[in-house]
Amino acid sequence: MKGSNRCFVDSMAQVSCQKPLSDEWFDSPCIYEENYVRAQEPDTKGLIIPSEARRMSKILKRAVCTAITALNNSGITQPDAIVTGTGMGCMENSEKFLMDLCRYGEQCLKPTLFMQSTHNTISSLIAIILKCHGYNNTYSHKGISFESSLLDAWIQMKGGMIRNALVGAHDEVTPFMDLVMERTHPEYSLVSEASVSMILTNAKSDRNICEVEDVRLVHRPDYSEFAGLLDKDEDDILMLGINGNNLNNAPYETLTRTLSFNPLILRYKNIFGDNFSSSALGFYAAARILENQRIPEHMMWSRGSDPVNERINNITILNQSDDTDWSLVRLKRI
Amino acid sequence: MKDRVFVTGAGIISALGVGSEATLQSLFKGESGIGRVTHLPTEHNEFPVGEVAMSNDEMSRMLDVGYPENGLRTVLMGIIAAREAVESARLAPEDMKRAAFINGTTVGGMDKTERHFKNVLDSNTETEDSCELKFNDCGYSTELIADNVGRFNLITTASTACSSAANAIITGANLIKAGIVDIAVVGGSEALTRFHLNGFNTLMILDKDNCRPFDRNRKGINLGEGAAYIVLESEKSAKARGVEISGVLTGYANTCDAFHQTASSENGEGAYMAMRKAMDMARLSPRDIDYINAHGTGTPNNDETELAAMERIWDYDLPGFSSTKAFTGHTTSASGSIEAVICLLAMKYGFMPGNPGWENPIREGAVPVLDMTQTDNVENIINNSFGFGGNDSTLIFSKYHEGV
Repeated sequence: MKGSNRCFVDSMAQVSCQKPLSDEWFDSPCIYEENYVRAQEPDTKGLIIPSEARRMSKILKRAVCTAITALNNSGITQPDAIVTGTGMGCMENSEKFLMDLCRYGEQCLKPTLFMQSTHNTISSLIAIILKCHGYNNTYSHKGISFESSLLDAWIQMKGGMIRNALVGAHDEVTPFMDLVMERTHPEYSLVSEASVSMILTNAKSDRNICEVEDVRLVHRPDYSEFAGLLDKDEDDILMLGINGNNLNNAPYETLTRTLSFNPLILRYKNIFGDNFSSSALGFYAAARILENQRIPEHMMWSRGSDPVNERINNITILNQSDDTDWSLVRLKRI
Repeated sequence: MKDRVFVTGAGIISALGVGSEATLQSLFKGESGIGRVTHLPTEHNEFPVGEVAMSNDEMSRMLDVGYPENGLRTVLMGIIAAREAVESARLAPEDMKRAAFINGTTVGGMDKTERHFKNVLDSNTETEDSCELKFNDCGYSTELIADNVGRFNLITTASTACSSAANAIITGANLIKAGIVDIAVVGGSEALTRFHLNGFNTLMILDKDNCRPFDRNRKGINLGEGAAYIVLESEKSAKARGVEISGVLTGYANTCDAFHQTASSENGEGAYMAMRKAMDMARLSPRDIDYINAHGTGTPNNDETELAAMERIWDYDLPGFSSTKAFTGHTTSASGSIEAVICLLAMKYGFMPGNPGWENPIREGAVPVLDMTQTDNVENIINNSFGFGGNDSTLIFSKYHEGV
């Protein structure tokens, strides 16, 4: 990786099945018995003008709420870049448009549904609200959509092309999609929704939550080569996308068996659920752990062989989608 | 200039034909690929479209692929174009280990979703049709294309509507400059679907006649479909492999107009900034630009504001410009790379493509290149792609001179 600049996380906000725009999940998470639970809707007051909020679909409202909250907590009003990940895009509007197409045929369809059905509607809407003319991109690549956005912002920041960025990942799962997912995504356990926004900056300051030290995407990796990217000293804590389903967990287990060391392993999908953007919540949780220097008991999956260090120095988030695309994100404490 | 990004290969499929050679021939003959709809099952046969002539079955046989590729038009066209790109760059299997595949698409497998959605809806998801909704999101399209072309090290998908392919090209260039990969196969693929044909129709921006980009009486878009990829490569890698260098990606920029989801601002602020920033990166001044392959969709709003942005930069002394959408139709997410390949052909063979259908200027002096014009003077080309949400991308391709 070329580029000498650094990349810090300055602020983050989340909407999920946990209490929205809050960190209550850290010590007292909501626990669900269901297989599918929607996000808890955020209070849009003070974040979105009411007349505009009424015209927005759920995913758009959540995205704007997390984006504005993250910006408000960062001291940045106009980011140099807005980069968004979304595996499925604006599903609610796409689905409604498709349903109308099926029910009423190709006449009398509604333009608003189409206009707000595109994947980059989210990133564009945030730019329109902020009147932000900077770089604006959207990635839609299954379960590594978030990491694709993060990689884009990270390399541009390292290379000095941008000073800061608003990076986010957003996915909504409608009840209809949940029914379809039972068949198309049998590897899921708790299906839920995610909306995460964060401000990344190259400026070292008191606001820094943690540093983004490495971001990698690898397509169809050789397990041992991929395991070779991990280091006993730096990667003594892993954050994995483990859920309650063996279909999903098997690739993670194969990978960790390949490691020459036995790391402490954390999980997040037990409280945040699964969707194409859920790894952004894994990133969010890991960053909060580094900030708080404390691991909540509910995130503990495997304690590892070495005694836990007094200080939590690094957390490496490993994520895979269908076992074809893997990502590695290494976060470091300040 | 350090960190140069070279173009070492290209592949294309569109209404102009299959492959770079067929595309070139159609452009020289001035033959538009736009006609009546044949493959897409739509009631709206009043709208001319730029369809790829081959059916899904024909493409599947040509590629020797089965399920699920055979039911996904975006994937089939993508494989055809990406294989041509990889072959023309003479990439060997071991080169793919240091290569990325960045694909631009928005529609993905929506054509297949449309075929099964009603059954799923009516049966309350109990039928096998719901399994058919699995491979249809953008990421799967990319993965299926990539895995049928080679063993790429990194793949991902840019999805920003009509600027997707241009943004995939930008991402690939940034990955090379960052040293993450040496090679990037970049571009986009997009099949026609009832979803977006009807979507554009609800916006009332489709023309029932052949589209007339930059004409005063233009009425709107003819949608098209296709796929195209170019191979980007670091200077070091291209020279080590000794491959032919067909151009240099000297500049690029993406900006946001930040005005409206489906319309651009009056003075074309986003487009203006994208062209300016790209020229800054390329260290070129406006008078260095020999030809602009405009986004030029043929809608009243796009062409007016794109022209306004060009006039802010060149005043009334515009370089040669044209929109090739009257040849291919607006291939939405693929348009950025389809037009990039046309620009590379223009540079290699020394011509500026025409702009069929044009009759009257929007304003005095705003006359595009009307017919195929042969010229030796195509040193630097601007290629514009603008998407929904005011997502504006400019690419600049420059001629490669050996020894410089």
